Amino acid sequence: MSTPQLAEHFFRREYGRLVATLCRRVGEQHIEVVEDAVQSALMAALESWTVSGPPDNPSAWLFRVAHNDVAGTLRQGSRRRRLLEQYGGDAVDSGESCSAPFLANEVQDDLLRMLFVCCDEAIAERSQLVLALKTLCGFDIREIALRLFLSEANVYKLLTRARSRLRKSPPRTEGPSEAEFSSRIAAVHKILYVLFTEGYLSSRQETAIRRELCDEAMRLATILAEHPMGQTPETFALLSLMHLHSARINARQHGSGGLVLLEEQNRDLWDREKIQVGLEWLARSAHGDAFSRYHAEAAIAAEHCLAPSFQETRWENVVNYYSLLERIAPSPMHMLNRAVAVAEWKGPAAGLAVFDGFEPPDWLAGSYMWAAVLADLHGRCGNVELANRYQKLAWKTAPTPAVRNLLEHRLRTSRQTIARHLTR
Amino acid sequence: MPKYLCMQRSLPGGDTHKPSPAEMQEMYSQFRAWQQKFRENLVDMGGKLGAGRLVTEPAADGPFVEVKELVGGYMIVSAPSLDEAITVARGCPGLVRRGSGVEVIEIRTS
Repeated sequence: MSTPQLAEHFFRREYGRLVATLCRRVGEQHIEVVEDAVQSALMAALESWTVSGPPDNPSAWLFRVAHNDVAGTLRQGSRRRRLLEQYGGDAVDSGESCSAPFLANEVQDDLLRMLFVCCDEAIAERSQLVLALKTLCGFDIREIALRLFLSEANVYKLLTRARSRLRKSPPRTEGPSEAEFSSRIAAVHKILYVLFTEGYLSSRQETAIRRELCDEAMRLATILAEHPMGQTPETFALLSLMHLHSARINARQHGSGGLVLLEEQNRDLWDREKIQVGLEWLARSAHGDAFSRYHAEAAIAAEHCLAPSFQETRWENVVNYYSLLERIAPSPMHMLNRAVAVAEWKGPAAGLAVFDGFEPPDWLAGSYMWAAVLADLHGRCGNVELANRYQKLAWKTAPTPAVRNLLEHRLRTSRQTIARHLTR
Repeated sequence: MPKYLCMQRSLPGGDTHKPSPAEMQEMYSQFRAWQQKFRENLVDMGGKLGAGRLVTEPAADGPFVEVKELVGGYMIVSAPSLDEAITVARGCPGLVRRGSGVEVIEIRTS
């Protein structure tokens, strides 16, 4: 009657592994059959293992149950004959293919293959992300909705679109071809990057839940980096930036859950080991002639990680990397970040000068980040009226109480600094 | 100590929400904790019940309600009293919830 503890995330990990392996064997056009079978196998495991304890090899047990279910469903299906012709010999009936994939690298290959399946260019980016979270990470619709701040109906819609595309995909069971690898790897990088930043940047969630997305992104990126075809400078840069950011995630939040300014973070809380790993990936990423946005972002994160204190940050380097980033991936957000770094390097007036002749798009002009940066820079320049205006806007547009508290704190301290300067 | 038969019954309008893998793992852990807590009481973890047939004399053809529609599974609990047996059954994760209940019946052997 003993029921040993299962490894952390065992059910979720098994879900992803089984879906990936079975999809390779029967083809992703049967993804719904596969997902239903995996769900049922996990339920059967829950019922059986709680009563009599898990078997010696839980993964093999689950694989056998799910595989038999898929084989049975496909055999029964109305397309019985066609299916048997197509898969009967190799995927459904033969005892040999029923053997569980015991080799770790086979499982990794299956996961990687599924990641590339998710990144089909015919599937919209948001749908790709939802599909990956569902199939590879084992989150259900409700959990995805919670993590991506979407409605469940929306997640369902995105998932349905992705699946309907997969249903139409040609029957093939081999891994990604070299051509597919090179055409989809950029999309794979993007999806891993989005997955990571959804977890890292969100201010709207408790740390544990956000961390989960970061961990999933790092797990999949690591699998990519272990595959010969995935070993590109961009993959390494992506892993570098993930490590360098997640090394600091603990220090970004204080005990009461509020966010902490980089300037005031306790750098002793930064995970030195992760920083080291991140720097090693950064070194590995530095070959070839492609300098990607991931390189620029990893380099910026490295500058922060290497600085002994906020004041001792090499702001000139940070500014230069932001300039590069703007060139590679133009976005007013990068400009905003550059202005902040310039202000630290050459003073608030120089920071403001970055925006000379720049008309912010509506989404930026209405965001708390734009308002907060301008309130801060104007405040530090002594432009009291403008600073007040932006400050009001920043508080009004702050998405969460945690962000509002952070802004209030930040703007108050910068005012005090000014007051000290003026009274001196 | 008296023994009690606990039968899980599904009631109409049961919970149709399929648990996610993460929720299943959580249920597994809760179940495990429950088993530890009531180690002494859990005599026989029983099992699920499949299809059955009512045997009568003279033989009747039915139709009978399939047993599994009503009773999902059973287990045997030992406890000093019915109330304490109920406490054990009620603590079992997932057993007592919307659309599902447990019938606890004393097994008299003397």
